[in-house]
Amino acid sequence: MYLALKEIRHEKLRYSLITGMIVLITYLIFILSGLATGLAGENTQAIDSWNAKSVVLNRDANVNLSQSTITTDQIDNANLTKNQAVIGQSPVVVKSHDREKESAQFVGLKNNEYIAKDLSVANGRKARTSHEVVVDQQFKQDGYKLGDKVKFNSATTRYTIVGFTKNAKLNVAPVVYGSLSTWKDLRNMPGAKLAGSAIVSKTANFKSHNKELKTYSDSYFVSKLPGYAAQNTTFGFMIGFLMIISLVIIAVFLYILTIQALPTYAVLRAQGIPAATLVRTIISQSLILMALGIVIGTGLTLITANMIPFGVPISFNVPMLAMISVGLLLMGIIGAAIPARKIAVVDPVQVIGG
Amino acid sequence: MSVIELKNINKYFGTGTSRVHVLSDVNFAADKGELILVVGPSGSGKSTFLTIAGGLQTPSSGKVIVEGQDVDQLTKKQRDKLRLNHVGFVLQSYALVPYLKVKEQLEFVRRVKRTGLLSSEDLQSLLAQLGIEDLVDKFPGQLSGGQTQRVAIARALYANPEIVLADEPTAALDSARVAEVGKLFKELAETRNKAVVVVTHDMRLAEFADKTYEILDGKLGLKQPAQETY
Ligand SMILES: Nc1ncnc2c1ncn2[C@@H]1O[C@H](COP(=O)(O)OP(=O)(O)OP(=O)(O)O)[C@@H](O)[C@H]1O
Ligand SMILES: [Mg+2]
Repeated sequence: MYLALKEIRHEKLRYSLITGMIVLITYLIFILSGLATGLAGENTQAIDSWNAKSVVLNRDANVNLSQSTITTDQIDNANLTKNQAVIGQSPVVVKSHDREKESAQFVGLKNNEYIAKDLSVANGRKARTSHEVVVDQQFKQDGYKLGDKVKFNSATTRYTIVGFTKNAKLNVAPVVYGSLSTWKDLRNMPGAKLAGSAIVSKTANFKSHNKELKTYSDSYFVSKLPGYAAQNTTFGFMIGFLMIISLVIIAVFLYILTIQALPTYAVLRAQGIPAATLVRTIISQSLILMALGIVIGTGLTLITANMIPFGVPISFNVPMLAMISVGLLLMGIIGAAIPARKIAVVDPVQVIGG
Repeated sequence: MSVIELKNINKYFGTGTSRVHVLSDVNFAADKGELILVVGPSGSGKSTFLTIAGGLQTPSSGKVIVEGQDVDQLTKKQRDKLRLNHVGFVLQSYALVPYLKVKEQLEFVRRVKRTGLLSSEDLQSLLAQLGIEDLVDKFPGQLSGGQTQRVAIARALYANPEIVLADEPTAALDSARVAEVGKLFKELAETRNKAVVVVTHDMRLAEFADKTYEILDGKLGLKQPAQETY
């Protein structure tokens, strides 16, 4: 540690440059993971807010909520309790006089079932009739007000916004909570005895007792959301590659420095300084650089997070960032391993008598 | 009893036809209070001799005994310890850590060795004796060749070893400096009771030595007084 700190203090420029690189990489990783978490959240916020443990869909819907319809006959034997709710989902374009059109996800609920009962409204109140809707906060950001009359798609029926709710995003679109009968109108399938798109259950392994329906776990259902898995793997790859880049940068840097300093290390070994002391030096240097990079990178990330405009889906998952930081420190240790090995095997005889 | 002893040392490098016999049946001993010079032409095996004596290299055959311990029997770690506690190396080049001030070079030794070091009064008088007490806040890059050499000596002696091994300590020094270093080593041996072994091809040091050996064709023998320079 003594040598490590002294060298860093003596070679400020060198070590600042490398710290700068690590800061940039850390910052990039943090922002990317913030975006990944943010975007993932916009896919699943609504589902998360329902506390679903299992979801029942039509067996032929390919685990896709939008493709799934459930008829009243199919849920005859399902035995719904206070822990289940039927929902009807449909993408809609919301229009209103002198407001921007908004693409949204309509979710029809039954007022006496748990999702509607548990719905927390930030402004206004819950819907009482099928002509009232509660919408995601995003509408408010976009200029909609309580009492606004809205139309869906090309239908003429008008609905009143009576409340705003937080954290209601599904498939990266804001949710409009309305009634199941409205959903049936939107679906526009006359004659079909539709019940909804899915049954959402707060209990795991809910049984529908109908072979045309199938129960999926919450996590499996989420992983099959359109684009969700692809998006997460893309971010995962980017973050992984950045980790590897940070590893390469620190390894190459320490390697070059070590090769230059090898004669010095050899003299110290001749002096009887244990190899372990010198190996610890290079590993602590690596950890100091990484830690410094992470701290400054975190600072920059916090500043950015406070300046970023609303609507950019960025949100920070602290345990995940902590794990990334630990991962970066690990990269520091691995990066120091090759130079450390060079130091451990340095032969003092080389520098004597030349 | 001698603090350092080499018995029937042979050292070969390479194999087959390229095998060279660098040291052949070398016997050597040094006592505390002695300044011993080992001279020889370039490539004669002086550095090889010194590194074997200091336990940095193992001989092909023969025994090295330092402070009564058979170096061959020691593990790598024990050899590190032996050097740290009993042997001070003074080398010609790269001797100092470039990013440590003179006082930090000493501080580092203190941190690693912890016990058995010179007391701070002794250190002060050593620095004064070496004429470097005003250089403690300088980095090696700010020192002249002679000053660097003296700091390296101070660092080796701060650990308070009984044995000082020096390889070409006067290379690149002018005659006045050579005489100074010679006197210094002589004083170290006498007043500080060290066994000082200096290998060099610089015959100017011979007048300070208690004994001068010569390596010729791998054999170590007392140098005959006929003064020749290499
Ligand atoms: N690791 C090695 N492998 C092969 N040969 C070696 C090795 N080390 C030394 N030698 C050879 O052993 C001989 C003695 O080398 P050494 O370095 O001991 O000489 P020296 O007397 O110190 O020379 P100089 O005065 O130039 O420093 C030389 O011929 C050298 O080439
Ligand atoms: Mg030599």
